Amino acid sequence: MPEIDPTEHEIADLGPEVNQIDDEQELEEMLALEKGGEARDAVITLIENRLDDVAGEAEDVDPAGADLTEMTIADIANMVREVDDVDVLEDILDREQDGKDRKGAKSQIESRIQSLEGDDGEETEVEYVPPEEKYPDLDHPTADKQYVEGTVDGDYRDMWVYCETQQGQLVDVSREMLGQARHLMDTYNTEGDPSEGQYGGDEDGNPEEVVAVLIGDGVSELAEECIAYGADRVVYHEDERLERFKHKPYTEIFCHMCRDFEADWREYHEPRYNIFPATNNGRDLSALVQGELDSGLASDCSDLYIESAMISNPAKTGTPGDSKEFDRILHMPRPDFSGFEYSTILCIDKPHRDFHPQGASVIPGTFDMPDPDHEREGEIVEHDLELPDEWFDIEIVESDRLDDGVDLTGNDVIVSMGRGIADDPTRGIELGVELADQFEEADLGLSRGVLTASYQFDSHVEQYVQMERQIGESGQEVEPDVYIAAGISGAVQHKVGMDESDTIIAINTDTDADIRDFSDYFIQGDLFEVLPQLTEALEEGDFAEAVAEVSDD
Amino acid sequence: MTKHEHYEALVVGCGPGGAAAAATLANQGVETLVLERGTDAGSKNVSGGLLYGEKSAPYTLDTLFPNFREEAAERPVGEYYIHNVAGRQVKTFDLHDIHHRDTEWCDAVLRRKMDSWLADRVHEMTRETGGGLLTNVRVNGLLRDGGEIVGVTLDELDPITADVIIAADGVNSELARDAGLMDWEDPEDWFQGVKAVVEMDPEVINERFGIDDDEGVAHLFSGDLFDGVRGGGFLYTNDQTLSVGTVFHLDSISEEQAEPHELLDNLLTHPLLDQWFQGEYEEREYAAKLVPDSKKVAHPSPHRGRLLLVGDAAGQMQAQGPIIKGMNHAVTAGGLAAEAFQEAKTRGDTNAAGELYERKLEEEGVLAKLRPKRYRATRAVSESSIVNKVGNAVLDSPVGSVGLKAAGKFGLLEKSFNSPFVLGMIPDTKMSYAVIPERIGEVMGTRVTDDNTVEPPELDDRIGDLTYDVDDPHIELQDNSFEASGTAVTACPVSAEDFGGGCYREETIKTNGGQEKVVSLDTQPCVECGTCAVVADTHWEHPSGGKGVEYKQG
Ligand SMILES: Cc1cc2nc3c(=O)[nH]c(=O)nc-3n(C[C@H](O)[C@H](O)[C@H](O)COP(=O)(O)OP(=O)(O)OC[C@H]3O[C@@H](n4cnc5c(N)ncnc54)[C@H](O)[C@@H]3O)c2cc1C
Ligand SMILES: Cc1cc2nc3c(=O)[nH]c(=O)nc-3n(C[C@H](O)[C@H](O)[C@H](O)COP(=O)(O)OP(=O)(O)OC[C@H]3O[C@@H](n4cnc5c(N)ncnc54)[C@H](O)[C@@H]3O)c2cc1C
Ligand code: SF4
Repeated sequence: MPEIDPTEHEIADLGPEVNQIDDEQELEEMLALEKGGEARDAVITLIENRLDDVAGEAEDVDPAGADLTEMTIADIANMVREVDDVDVLEDILDREQDGKDRKGAKSQIESRIQSLEGDDGEETEVEYVPPEEKYPDLDHPTADKQYVEGTVDGDYRDMWVYCETQQGQLVDVSREMLGQARHLMDTYNTEGDPSEGQYGGDEDGNPEEVVAVLIGDGVSELAEECIAYGADRVVYHEDERLERFKHKPYTEIFCHMCRDFEADWREYHEPRYNIFPATNNGRDLSALVQGELDSGLASDCSDLYIESAMISNPAKTGTPGDSKEFDRILHMPRPDFSGFEYSTILCIDKPHRDFHPQGASVIPGTFDMPDPDHEREGEIVEHDLELPDEWFDIEIVESDRLDDGVDLTGNDVIVSMGRGIADDPTRGIELGVELADQFEEADLGLSRGVLTASYQFDSHVEQYVQMERQIGESGQEVEPDVYIAAGISGAVQHKVGMDESDTIIAINTDTDADIRDFSDYFIQGDLFEVLPQLTEALEEGDFAEAVAEVSDD
Repeated sequence: MTKHEHYEALVVGCGPGGAAAAATLANQGVETLVLERGTDAGSKNVSGGLLYGEKSAPYTLDTLFPNFREEAAERPVGEYYIHNVAGRQVKTFDLHDIHHRDTEWCDAVLRRKMDSWLADRVHEMTRETGGGLLTNVRVNGLLRDGGEIVGVTLDELDPITADVIIAADGVNSELARDAGLMDWEDPEDWFQGVKAVVEMDPEVINERFGIDDDEGVAHLFSGDLFDGVRGGGFLYTNDQTLSVGTVFHLDSISEEQAEPHELLDNLLTHPLLDQWFQGEYEEREYAAKLVPDSKKVAHPSPHRGRLLLVGDAAGQMQAQGPIIKGMNHAVTAGGLAAEAFQEAKTRGDTNAAGELYERKLEEEGVLAKLRPKRYRATRAVSESSIVNKVGNAVLDSPVGSVGLKAAGKFGLLEKSFNSPFVLGMIPDTKMSYAVIPERIGEVMGTRVTDDNTVEPPELDDRIGDLTYDVDDPHIELQDNSFEASGTAVTACPVSAEDFGGGCYREETIKTNGGQEKVVSLDTQPCVECGTCAVVADTHWEHPSGGKGVEYKQG
């Protein structure tokens, strides 16, 4: 008799109880009771599910000693999948032959043995049927794309790096990528251990290159810099119509360069690796180019390295159950779930379709900025191609460049205003600006307290009341020769933005204000009176005197 | 509808409620994903710190998580006293009986340590089911399909769908609000808790509290310490710190325009505490959070569609007189919600989980503890101010104090403090929190002669000592007039009148021809306590995952 007679319980109470029971016997008895009683479907399912679970757990037997006669073919299949030792498997096979000698069971064990032994020449290759034939009922949007199924065992070389520019300059991430590409290819070209990414060059032992790509207006001027940062070769295309990034021409040019461009140094099908920056434009370009080249893309990568990879996916190896080592695989780790997990993406050829170039876009700042070597030598190649007008159908009619923002660092003097201006905020800002105007290299700073207040400013000073003038922990850090803090209490979050200043002068009505502790001069007084005096003294040229006179410290 | 990532169960929040729900789900093999906004579980959480393992509870943390008490808790608390204070006069009652009633064990806890310990286990357990725990993600709303709740939306990730969503996202639950199950309108529904974690060497604790390494004490305080604000104070011993704090009715804080940090300081600097501080005071952390009052807001039917609320999110926080029980009920509710889902699933109808959960709360007697019928019956009268006044009059008369003395002599008062029946009934009036204890202290108390010389830190230093990762403002002032939102200047635990460094600051601006009193808001010092969501006119959300304040103690 089981401990719980299910017929005496509501189903709601049974759930947790049943799921606690581990004894098959007991569960069987309960099942029998229920079936003999009301035979409620839900209860039967509940107990049967539990039975399955419990039975499943029990299955965790040692394969070497398992009693095969007690096991179903499915059980055996499950069991052998976990076994990696061929001898153990041979033994299981023998025992099955001596025992029930089931055909299905034997073929499961044999196929496991075969997959472990791998290359014995007898492997069954998956027969390749083009998808159009295999699934005639589906539409095949890529059927007419010559490259999709076309390229098998193509010839690939070199690491190509798209070097983005802004305002006629390389953006930092371009330099970072060149540095990493240099490092990767130097290793790659070294004779040594493939698991360390050392292949001694290509399949024939010839070194491969880092190829920098520049597209834009007047970009040839940047070619030397690309070499200094690590490129062996720079391919550039310049045209005034390329001044701004545009999807169509940039994609067409890049693809032509790396796939169709005929040059003696480019006697290969496509690049082995394509690297792009994961910037706004780089993300667009990388997706368009890799799509057009019918390969894949790992976007927003946070590292890159080259290594061999053991792969057992039959779609890639062509033989089920077999593992195969792939060489020269670019490993592309990238954050998933916005950085909560990482996956490493590999882009690997299939038996009937190549996946090259192996493409990645790289998060700016991922790699260290290399030191440029201006002595380095490299080739500079101009890409010649007529750019048809249709590529420029899209016209940019208006554009705006965002302000660089206010940079307070580098000033000799900063005059900062705090909530002490509350009585007349507009006048307070005016006084600060007037004082700052007395110096050559000076600007106005603000405490956060002012910026988050509900103060209303007249329009002529509003332009000064900007977040970018905030000094402190969540604003800018400055260290001018002279820092004048008017009506600022000196909260620690403000302090960390200014206490490296050479001389700190505080103006405050409250002699207990914290700022006094780290000021060189403390002027007790109303800023509305003190600031005009200081301004006046400066106009007359005796600032130091004026400060010394009014200061208490 | 677009296809979203799907899990069998989503648990939002990894406090005690979420951890219990997730562990129970994982034990049943349910594929469970847990989402927590803190950079580490516990980094957002505060409690006073007494975690009860109730004998009658179907789920407790020590059974769900082996070694919980040894590894994640501080000291087991065996002694429990309440001090009735009137100036320097103090009368102490031993609340041993009520403390041990239905108590299997009771440990002091610090939430950062406890919750992050739980989270590690939860992650391991849920990983086994194909899910896991993600921190640094904030759920910002419910995902609906044709009006039905099917999942959640997040700041950091694409929407995720699930067969059941267990919202264990604590007080100010954005999910409960989104589902229309809770509003944040009435200050009467909430308490505000404020706490300081104070450093003290373990040996010093042992010596000054007269305990051993593996023993702890709880002291409660009520009476005239708190300028007439309704509520009380507590002090619990941890391994190497003390948790000292206050819990007040939010409506009382608002009405009295009290400054919560000052009320805490009143307690910290009271002569009675000199015996323990002896002139030394090193504050490790200042913290605050709203606490729901289950008597008023425990939701009788805390579910809607696939959404089940547990713990503070459902208002399941029981203030039984001075005893505060929130964490343990959150654990029970989490376990029951998970159990309800598993059962609904076995029946082939996961939609029945909510109903089952509600029934279990009822059957396990949880709801009866949270919303005692006695309270429902007495509240209407005892909280009206007339009764209050009569009560006051009685207490002020000589007869009143004779009565008290007599009651004291026969131990009646101590007895009634120790009666769950009386405690369940205690009306939330000034009389029960301040006036009666004060009279008890006055009439029966002995004088404390010590002088407490400690100086707790100023508010700006308290803020300065906290760790923040600030982001865009997560609270918007809808109405910045002083009438609408001025209460927050005082009630916000990190703001104060005449303090420029707080969240809420009172300002006078010139308008056409006049002056206007307004408030301005800077959310950087915000400790996300939830107070201004109730007392000011705001649009209130939690900061994005990992942003905002990070408690190291909790
Ligand atoms: C000062 C004070 C003293 C107290 N004293 C005690 C006491 O002594 N004993 C006691 O039992 N109780 C006490 N409580 C009450 C107790 O802390 C709560 O009842 C308990 O923490 C509730 O547990 P919970 O799991 O429901 O929610 P919480 O512990 O609040 O957990 C909610 C979790 O959800 C996360 N979260 C919230 N929103 C989101 C979102 N949108 N997305 C993702 N994650 C989210 C939070 O970060 C948090 O980790 C006290 C409370 C305070 C403030
Ligand atoms: C996480 C975090 C990050 C922060 N980041 C920053 C930051 O980057 N930068 C920053 O500045 N703050 C920051 N703060 C805010 C900081 O804590 C203070 O609140 C802020 O610096 C206060 O500004 P204040 O000194 O202008 O105002 P208050 O503290 O209000 O001080 C005003 C001062 O003016 C004096 N005063 C009043 N009237 C007069 C008068 N007529 N003449 C002279 N003196 C007068 C008063 O005595 C007082 O000392 C941050 C806060 C937090 C929590
Ligand atoms: S701003 Fe609001 S939520 Fe933040 S600490 Fe103050 S009252 Fe609490």
